Amino acid sequence: MQYYYYPYKVFLIVSSFLMFSPVFADQQATAIVKAAIDYWRDNSSYSVTEMIIHRTNWQRAMILQIWTQGNKKSLVRIIKPKKDRGNATLTKNDRMWTFSPKINRIIRIPASMMNRSWMGSDFSNNEVAKADELLKYYTHTLIGTETHNGQTVYIIKAVPFEYAPIVWGKVLLKIRADYIVLEQTFYDQDNILVKKMETLKIENMGGKRIAVIQRMQKAKKADEWTKIVVKEVEFTINVSSRMFTLSNLRNPRF
Amino acid sequence: MKLLIILAWRNLWRYPRRTSIILIAIAIGIWSMLSMSAFIRGMMEQHVNDTISNFVGHISIHAPGYRDDPVIDHSMPQPNEHLLHLLNEKVWAARVRVPAVVSSERETMGVTLLGIAPAQEQALSFIADAVTDGRYLNNVEDKGIILGRKLVERLETGLGKRVVLGSQNHSNEIVERGFRVVGIFDSKTENIETQFVFVGRHIAQKMLQMQDNISELALLSKDRNELENLLQKLRATSPDLDIQTWQTIAPLARVIVNVFEGFLFIWYFVVFIAIAFGLVNTLLMAVFERTREIGLFQALGMKPHWIVGQVLFESLFLLAIGLVVGNLMTWVTLILTAEGLDFSRYAAGYEMAGLSSLIYMVLNMSDILTANMLIIGLGLLASLYPAWRATRYVPVEAITRT
Repeated sequence: MQYYYYPYKVFLIVSSFLMFSPVFADQQATAIVKAAIDYWRDNSSYSVTEMIIHRTNWQRAMILQIWTQGNKKSLVRIIKPKKDRGNATLTKNDRMWTFSPKINRIIRIPASMMNRSWMGSDFSNNEVAKADELLKYYTHTLIGTETHNGQTVYIIKAVPFEYAPIVWGKVLLKIRADYIVLEQTFYDQDNILVKKMETLKIENMGGKRIAVIQRMQKAKKADEWTKIVVKEVEFTINVSSRMFTLSNLRNPRF
Repeated sequence: MKLLIILAWRNLWRYPRRTSIILIAIAIGIWSMLSMSAFIRGMMEQHVNDTISNFVGHISIHAPGYRDDPVIDHSMPQPNEHLLHLLNEKVWAARVRVPAVVSSERETMGVTLLGIAPAQEQALSFIADAVTDGRYLNNVEDKGIILGRKLVERLETGLGKRVVLGSQNHSNEIVERGFRVVGIFDSKTENIETQFVFVGRHIAQKMLQMQDNISELALLSKDRNELENLLQKLRATSPDLDIQTWQTIAPLARVIVNVFEGFLFIWYFVVFIAIAFGLVNTLLMAVFERTREIGLFQALGMKPHWIVGQVLFESLFLLAIGLVVGNLMTWVTLILTAEGLDFSRYAAGYEMAGLSSLIYMVLNMSDILTANMLIIGLGLLASLYPAWRATRYVPVEAITRT
C-alpha cells in the first residue's frame, strides 16, 4: 500500500520550519504519540470487547473478538448477538475487507467507503483500518500539560501535513505519562469540534494499565455515541500469520 | 391576366374585416411556426453546445474499453507524433478522468476526478471561465483543487480549506491525497457542480501512479457536423484507440436533437391544418357570395380556368400578405428576445432535464424557407377546392339565383 505523499518533501518542510519556529513539531511530542500508539497496540494482542452503539431511539451491543499484530494487521469478529455472529473485518496494510456469512461473500471496502461508518458505529472504516495515521500524516506539538490522578498529562496538538489525506483541521490528544490516551478530539478546519473520543475508565488488565472504557461521540449529537468496553485482553501473544488472511476471514480456524 | 390580378385584389378588400381576420390567422400561424422553431433550435443548440463543453468535445479519443468502464486501467499514453501532427492547429486537451471520492470533515461524496492541463481547456470546455470564487488552476503542477459550488455546500467546506481526494491505482489500491480548495466554479446545472472536481494533470497522474498516461483526449473542430473526414484520418493514425464523435459519446444529445426536429415537423403540420381550414372557408364564402357575379362572368365568356386563376390569386395575396406580416412579427420577436429568454423561475425542472434556464432563439434560413414554402404551396393547393367549386356554376342558374 503506497500512500501518496512525499516523505522527503515533508521532511524538508518540517526541517525548514524547525529552523525558524521554536514551537513547531517538537520531537518530544512525536515520541509521546508514537509511544502511546505502541503501548495501545503492543506487538500483538487478543481481546474480547463489547461495542455499544447508542442512538436516540435505540441502542445495540455487540461482543467482538479482536486480534491485532503490529500497526498494520487486525481481525475483528462478532460473536454476539447471534444474528450478527460471524461477521468479520480484516485490515491489513491499510486495506480492509469484510465478510458476511449471510451472503457468504468477502467484500473489499473501496476507497469510497473508507470514510463511512464501521458497522454502524461512530468510528469510520479509516479509523479502524489505520492505526498509525496519527504518526504518518501529522506534525505534533506539545501545547501544555495537566495532571490526572497524580500523573502528568501531555496535551498534544496534531496538525495534518498540507497534502496528507486527512480532512481534520487539527486533532488534540491528551496522553497520560503512562501512555494512556485520555482524550482525542477532532476539529474541523474552522477549529470547531467535530467528534471526541474519551477514555472513561482505566484499569489493570492483561498485565498492564489500559483504557477499558472509551466513548466516541459526535459533537452535535449528545445522545449518539459508541462505547468500547474491553472485557478481557492479552498482549504479546503468539498469533499465527495465517490469522490475518482472507481465507481465515471467511473460515475461522483460530 | 392583369385584369385577373386587379379583380382578385379588389375582391379581397370587399370585406376588409373578413380578409383581415384570415390575414391575422395566417400571420399568427407563420409567426408561431417560426418562433417555435427558433425557440426549439435555440434550446437544441444550447444543449448540444453544453454537452460538447462538458468535456465531450467534437471528437473524443479514449483507450479501448474506457467508455464502458471509465477507470484507470483503461488509460492510454500521451498522443504520439502522428496524432499530434493531426491535432496541430486544433483545440485539444488531454485529461485524466477517473471516478473518485472527495471527503471533508463531515461528508464524503463520489465525484469524477478530472486532471486537466488548465491552458488546454480554454475554449474547449466550460471550466476555464466558470470559476467564480478564488482562482482557476495555473498549470498541470497546480496542487489546488477546484470544486463546484453545490459540492462545496454539500461537503460543508469552503475556499482555502482542505479536502481529501481518494481513488484507486492500477493495482486497485486506495490512493489518497489532500488538496486545498483554490477555486469554486458555477455551472448552469447542479449536476455538473456536484459531478466534477478539477486538479492539475501531473498531480493527478502522480497520485494515481499512472506515469504520464491520460484517460481521454478531446478536440474541437471547426464545424461539429462535418467531422467524418477528420474522424477517418484520426482512426487511420491510431487504429488501436477508441475514437468517437460527440454523437456517439453523448447519444442523449443526438436523440434530443432528433426528437426536437420531429416535434417541429408535427407543429408545422398542426399549424398548417388550422390555417388551411380558415383559408378554404374564407374563399368558399367569397365564392358563394359572388355566385351571380361569377355566373355573369361566365355568361360573358370568361373561361373556367380564368375563374380558378382569380380565386387562386386571391388566395395567393392573402397568403403573401399574411406571410410578410408573420415574418415581420417573428423578426420583432427575435429582436426582443435577443438577450435570451429567462426561464429561471422554472429552472429546477429545466435543470433536471439538463437544459439551461436561459434560452437564446436561433432561426435557421432553412427553417424560414421551409415554413414559408410549406404555407404558400399547401395553401394554394387547399384553395383549389373553392376555385373548382366556382367553376362548377351553371351560368343561367347562377344569374337567376337571388
